[in-house]
Order: sequence, then structure tokens, then C-alpha cells
Amino acid sequence: MNPVALALLAAGVLVVVASAVGAAVLRDVRARLHLLTPVTSVAGPLLGLAVALDGGWTASTGQVLVVVALLAVTGPVLGSATGRLLAEDEEPSP
Amino acid sequence: MNPWSVAAFVLVVGALGPALWLGARGGPAQRLVGLELCSSVTVLVLLLLAQAVGQSQFLILPLALVLLSFAGTLVFTRLLGSRP
Repeated sequence: MNPVALALLAAGVLVVVASAVGAAVLRDVRARLHLLTPVTSVAGPLLGLAVALDGGWTASTGQVLVVVALLAVTGPVLGSATGRLLAEDEEPSP
Repeated sequence: MNPWSVAAFVLVVGALGPALWLGARGGPAQRLVGLELCSSVTVLVLLLLAQAVGQSQFLILPLALVLLSFAGTLVFTRLLGSRP
């Protein structure tokens, strides 16, 4: 396996595990919500790059990159929608 | 075991476990955050497993999951919201 791809793979796994453990440790739900972003926007592209470097530019690599791009695009949208939901929960009822 | 399957195993134990724990505790919005983390981690695990077994046709699973979890989570945020 390409050593650069191996390093990217390890970095991506490390980011995901650190984010998940951090989210489990933190008490504040907003802080937990912030820790979703590294998983979708950092670890996903790192793992996609690892796949691309290891397998070369093939159709399956393109499909992996599409999945990673979709994850990176949809992650912030979901975080924003969930943040709005949390804000609604904290608003005093009329 | 190749590095891809090792990475998938580490993600299942080290990330999917805490995400499931988060999804089982707290109020509805807090559990929704756990569900979002579960979905994202599962997409990455499926990518790594498809790479580990060398079967590119398995890549349809994370592609379907990332689209369905996006729509599903948006539906949850709509249903859990207090405003109509």
C-alpha cells in the first residue's frame, strides 16, 4: 500500500475516533454538534484521498469521491438544521 | 487483514460505539445528534469495507446511505421542531 495513502487513512481514522469520543465525553449538545463537522468535512476527504491514491483514478475511485463529496456537502446542512432545532427547543414558549 | 479492514474495525469500535451511545441517551434533539454521527461513521465504514474486500459494486451502499440519511435527518428535524 502507498505510504502516503496509509498516512491519510490513519489520519482520517484518528479524526473520526477523536470526534466520536469527544462528542461522547462532552455534556453540551451544541459542542457535540460541532464535533460532527470534522467527521464529514475532514475525515471523509482524507479517506477518499487515501482510496484515490491507493487505487488510482478508476470508476470506483470516482464513486468513492462522489460519496465523500456528498458527505462533505450534506454534513453542514444537517448540522445547521439540527442547530435550528436546538435553538427552537431553548426558546421560551409564548 | 489489510489496512482497510483494520481501519473499518477501528471505526466500528472507536467511533460507532460512542455514536450509538449518544443516540441512546438524552432528549430527542440530543439523540438526533447521535444519529447523525452514526450515519456519517457508517458511510465511512462502508466505504472502507468496500475497499477492503475489493468489490466496487458494494460502493452503492454508502452512496445510498449518504442520500437517505440526509433526507431522513431533515425529516426528523422537521418532525421534532415545535413550529409547524
